[in-house]
Amino acid sequence: MNIIQQQSDATLNDNWRTINIDALDPESSSNFDTSTLHPAFAPVSQNEIASLGQQVRQLLRGGDAEGALRGALEGAPYGGDAGVKDLHLLTVTEVLQAIRASEMTPMLQRIYKTEGGSDVLDVLMKYLYKGMGSSGSARGSTGRNSSLTPQSTGFTQMSGRPGGANENSGSAMSVLLSWHEKVVDVAGLGCVGRCMTDWRKV
Amino acid sequence: MPWYLLGFADHSQSLRPYLQCVRSSLTSALCLSNFASQTSERHNVPEIEAQTSPEVLLNSLTVARNENERVYIEPSINSVRISIKIKQADEIEHILVHKFTRFLTQRAEAFFILRRKPIKGYDISFLVTNYHTEEMLKHKLVDFIIQFMEEVDKEISEMKLFVGGS
Amino acid sequence: MAAPEVHHLFHHPIADHSFSADKQTLAVARDTNVELYGRTGNGFKLKDELKGHDKFVTSPTLVLLRINRAATFVRWSPSETKFAVGSGARVIAICYFEEENDWWVSKHIKKPIRSTVTTVAWHPNSVLLASGSTDAHARVFSSFIKGVDARPEPGVWGERLPFNTVCGEYLNNSAGWVHAVSFSPSGDALAFAAHDSSITVVYPNGADQPPRAVVSVSTQLLPFMSLIWNGEAEIIAAGYDCEAYRFKGNEGGWQLTGSLESKGGPGVAREESALNMFKQLDLKGKTKDDTQLKTVHQNTISTIRVYEESGGAVRKFSTSGVDGRIVIWNA
Repeated sequence: MNIIQQQSDATLNDNWRTINIDALDPESSSNFDTSTLHPAFAPVSQNEIASLGQQVRQLLRGGDAEGALRGALEGAPYGGDAGVKDLHLLTVTEVLQAIRASEMTPMLQRIYKTEGGSDVLDVLMKYLYKGMGSSGSARGSTGRNSSLTPQSTGFTQMSGRPGGANENSGSAMSVLLSWHEKVVDVAGLGCVGRCMTDWRKV
Repeated sequence: MPWYLLGFADHSQSLRPYLQCVRSSLTSALCLSNFASQTSERHNVPEIEAQTSPEVLLNSLTVARNENERVYIEPSINSVRISIKIKQADEIEHILVHKFTRFLTQRAEAFFILRRKPIKGYDISFLVTNYHTEEMLKHKLVDFIIQFMEEVDKEISEMKLFVGGS
Repeated sequence: MAAPEVHHLFHHPIADHSFSADKQTLAVARDTNVELYGRTGNGFKLKDELKGHDKFVTSPTLVLLRINRAATFVRWSPSETKFAVGSGARVIAICYFEEENDWWVSKHIKKPIRSTVTTVAWHPNSVLLASGSTDAHARVFSSFIKGVDARPEPGVWGERLPFNTVCGEYLNNSAGWVHAVSFSPSGDALAFAAHDSSITVVYPNGADQPPRAVVSVSTQLLPFMSLIWNGEAEIIAAGYDCEAYRFKGNEGGWQLTGSLESKGGPGVAREESALNMFKQLDLKGKTKDDTQLKTVHQNTISTIRVYEESGGAVRKFSTSGVDGRIVIWNA
């Protein structure tokens, strides 16, 4: 009787066959600790990111688009939760849409030449992909990505124009696509590669 | 203007940057190398399908032209999954796309890189492994996917005409 | 620059290659076999094949590695008394010959490796070993074996170094699997190439101290698979871009200076005449024949090795690639 009681519930019936032994084994390669792959992230609160957003918008209104873009990208909240990150995505997208097509390449080249410029462009590329990924609802789930909440109206909020959600997200997409082409011209395919390898997710 | 972009002149404005973005993303994602499985002896599996070792998977990328046309690229150390959502404006196109992709996926072994089932939320998926990039030229693989994306839209419109839709 | 020597051996990927000291024999790793080619005149001919690569075969002796996953990479130490094998079992097996038992023995380096070991490189003193892994770290270990190695002199990597001491562990910001590691010719610096398209050079400052400098160069190119040092101030790296690139620098910083290949060779000419263009269009229905890449290698370069050096500088180096070619270049 005692022996039977010592067994766990799972082994009493046949469910022991369904125990995922790899998940329980600390030595297994599926339990790789991915926090070893990036520096520790400082937590970022909703308020902090909202005030950063306001600073960025002020710079934008004042005509300093480059400062606004740089400020927004350098303040990317790696340590924030999903809500904080989405909020900052809206800020960055606003700045990107405010910059004229003819100014994109010269601005990117100027940023690239400065100290740490290549890192700034890497962050920009991450936001471009995040922006394209956040419209539309369905996406497959994989190990690397947690599922994003569907935001079919994500872009109507920020541009504030009347019109269907599709029309707004379509124009936002084409802005992101033209930025993507220009960033690849300046920072090369290495930039795209770093978006894929980097564990610091925006 | 590069010769290979000549054919795009009559398309709508955002198609060219969209395909160019897909091309850059794929060229970067298709840097694959052989990787023997860490979890099973003497096995070599596409890690993006097995997903047993988190450190050999990379962040996935989405390239989207709008809500209805997007490409989802999931890279890993030895394999990449490329999923495409094809434009379907109405019921008829929806059915045509479904039939067309079923026709292709039922013959998946002839294509080598085609996956039999698309990823949820997309219409068709490709699985490219390091063996494919070793045997075939990477830039031609990327060309194939881009051409496929262009021609699928044309095919669906043609089929729609035959079926009698507008 | 003289044109590179190209040897197209076969149409299969070459995982690794190695020339014998007299450069007359070339060993090439292809799938699970090792093929030996002898030089005849201007080319190489297949001489011998070593099959059966479940376990490692060296001369007629069998060495038991005691690893339960694939072996990924192997290198002899400069003293040629030991060799190191990286594996998917997340260990490095250091194998040496034990006189008393007349047998090759392997010792394992395990901690703190957390994922497949992709590459290893020996320090000139044959005691320190650098390794790269898919856990995105490059590490330096001591593989000191009593009785086989002479006690190394204290240097920038540390002083007392028993087996499996970790002398350093390095990770760069955008984490990417480490594809190649290499010590500089003096052994005082370590360079590694990762999948995030960067190379990082570490200048250590003694045991238990942070390094003097860690310089990372992020490039606009596709990732590098292999690299070699050319003296203390230059690195040549090659990878998915199918051509070799040169980096120059020192503790203060490193820069990419350019490619080693001159374009517009016997491959595809960039500026086609108008007549040629219409001829192509007529024949093939395409305006550009881009099936052939403009680089000598038609697919990823997997290994780059020093071929000939004089006075501390590399004069020639060889590359092997996934396209089945071995090419010898002038540095």
